[in-house]
Amino acid sequence: MSYQRTSTFVPRRQQNWSRNQNTVAFVSSVKLGPVAHTVIVALMITVLGLIYLTQATRATSYDYTSQQLDSQIANLNNQESDLKVENARLTALETVKNSTVAAAMTKPASTQYANQ
Amino acid sequence: MKLELLKGSRSKYLAAIVLGITAIFIIRLFYLQIIQSNYYQQQAAAEQVKITDLPAQRGLIYGLSGTTPEPLALNQTVYTVFADPTTVTDDSQVVKTIEADASGNAEPDLAQLLTVPGSRYEVLATKVSLTQATKIKAANLNGVGFQAITQRVYPEGTLGAQVLGFVDNTGQGQYGVEQGLNSELSGTDGVLKAVTDVNDVPLTIGKDNIDKPAVDGKNVVLTLDLNVQAEVEQALAAGLKTNHATNGSVIVIDPQDGHVEAMANLPSYDPSNFGQASNASDYNNPIVSSPYEPGSDMKTLTMAIGVDKGVVTPATTYDNTGSMTIDGVNVSNGEGLGHIGVINLQTAMDFSLNSGFITVAELLGDGQNITLAARQTMYDYYYNHFHLGQLTGIQVANEAPGTVISPNDPSGQGNAVRYSNMAFGQGVDVTMLQMAAAFSSIANGGLYYTPTLVAGTVDDNGNFTAAPQVAAQRSVSQSTADTVRNMTQVARASLFSASDTPGFEIGGKTGTSQTLINGNYNNNQTIGTYLGYGGDATPRYVIMVQVSGAGQTLEGGRDAEPIFANISNWMLNYLQLQPKG
Repeated sequence: MSYQRTSTFVPRRQQNWSRNQNTVAFVSSVKLGPVAHTVIVALMITVLGLIYLTQATRATSYDYTSQQLDSQIANLNNQESDLKVENARLTALETVKNSTVAAAMTKPASTQYANQ
Repeated sequence: MKLELLKGSRSKYLAAIVLGITAIFIIRLFYLQIIQSNYYQQQAAAEQVKITDLPAQRGLIYGLSGTTPEPLALNQTVYTVFADPTTVTDDSQVVKTIEADASGNAEPDLAQLLTVPGSRYEVLATKVSLTQATKIKAANLNGVGFQAITQRVYPEGTLGAQVLGFVDNTGQGQYGVEQGLNSELSGTDGVLKAVTDVNDVPLTIGKDNIDKPAVDGKNVVLTLDLNVQAEVEQALAAGLKTNHATNGSVIVIDPQDGHVEAMANLPSYDPSNFGQASNASDYNNPIVSSPYEPGSDMKTLTMAIGVDKGVVTPATTYDNTGSMTIDGVNVSNGEGLGHIGVINLQTAMDFSLNSGFITVAELLGDGQNITLAARQTMYDYYYNHFHLGQLTGIQVANEAPGTVISPNDPSGQGNAVRYSNMAFGQGVDVTMLQMAAAFSSIANGGLYYTPTLVAGTVDDNGNFTAAPQVAAQRSVSQSTADTVRNMTQVARASLFSASDTPGFEIGGKTGTSQTLINGNYNNNQTIGTYLGYGGDATPRYVIMVQVSGAGQTLEGGRDAEPIFANISNWMLNYLQLQPKG
């Protein structure tokens, strides 16, 4: 691939205004026709579409993960509530009163106070 | 050669038809996409966007065991197991699994439910626990589904039932703290609005999504001491068994801060199975919702007014003739109480003589009459100092204010006769809570603390935040309170000293109130009460006991006092107080 050096006529007045600016440009010798342009644009649109689709799919997969985690949290919370209720029932006064440990307890015959 | 469609050629007709069809398409698309745009967007949103309520968890209720919060009301997720009989493939397997894994919760005759013709929904089991539901789910039964429901659980059973109340099937608190603090306990439901896929999984795409999390209700810690409450309920039940009263109530207050440590009533009910209560009146808490004429318990307050105003002392004497005439109306002492002659007010207190306290009322006036000034003074103390006849603001539902009739009442009801009666506890309606709170201010040296049931809140990490303490108000001077407290101690010692553990300061006053039947006081239906305090150098508890029943004659000294004594002696041990050497 080769490039052709070209120069453009610039009037003196403009030369003064745009002093120190690059006055050299490179123009490609490759010419693309209307079909090639259409194909390239179509390809670009397809690639962009694929990128969008990938991202959207990935977001949806995160939604599923999130939903599963929410469900897991709810399940664990339910289990925790269940255990709390069971614990409360096992330590309820009525349960303790009817326990074998309580049944084996006896009343003290007398009470002594430390400072007497 | 120039190509053109020949006039009348088939190609020209075809082109016209194609053009026409294209035009129809364009017009139709314009109609659907532009003109009907909103309609179809709404249709799509209705199909794709799901709005899900995120229910807030109801706050838990705790009591205290000493200073440690213990659960009184919890939440539990339970499941209703249902079946669509048309999609169940193996009836016998469903019946076998449900009966094995949800025994006790399964409906009777499951096989018959699965063959109900045309039915698409049959409940197979209710209140199935998570463990049971997990086992049933593991069986992969076709046509069987689960519906999660949150239910309120009261692990202590009937303990403090009327204080707690219950949660009805719509999730609303009814009676007790459940209703009184319903808004704090309920929290705020959240909402999730999002586009969902075919599996109803919410997706993050969509510009109108709303994700507002639920705010759970507050976990409330009550001042109720579970141990005291249990003992009080037991003592009350034993007392009613002895005196055969059908109804009884007990309240225990810490006089040093107004914290209610126990509130018990019989008959009671199980809040977990509130539908099985034998009578709807069992849901009520008469301590706060049933004003009554307090009878002789009121004499301590009347005496406090006289002492505080400087018109009487315990040694003040008067001539007890057994009855007094007020504005032409004869008001007498209780039958057979005696002590006729010149006696002092301590004796009147000891033997609960009405005449002594009518004398106090007269001495607040001109010494001979219960003047308007005397009545205004009494009203001021009863209403503004002791807070009788008004709501205390206790955090339970259905508190009743009671009535203290003002001397300026336009009906003329606040006359001298009424105030002579009010001096010994008739003609005035108060609740036990009001009486116990007022008496606490005598016991603690003259400071009125608004009674409360809420100690504070506790977060999910167990961090406790104490409720703000309402500042105490002075009801009477310290010296007045000490004087009257001492009178109640002497009054108790004169009649009931044998009931008490020696070495402690215990005081109290009996009350026996006639009840009004068809507008007349009836001696054959009386309410017995005992209102007292106890402790070491400092009064540590105030206990009020009430026993009553339709057509029953119950007395404070005979029927309520023994219950007080049982609880009082137990409290001395529970609080680990040491007797005076």
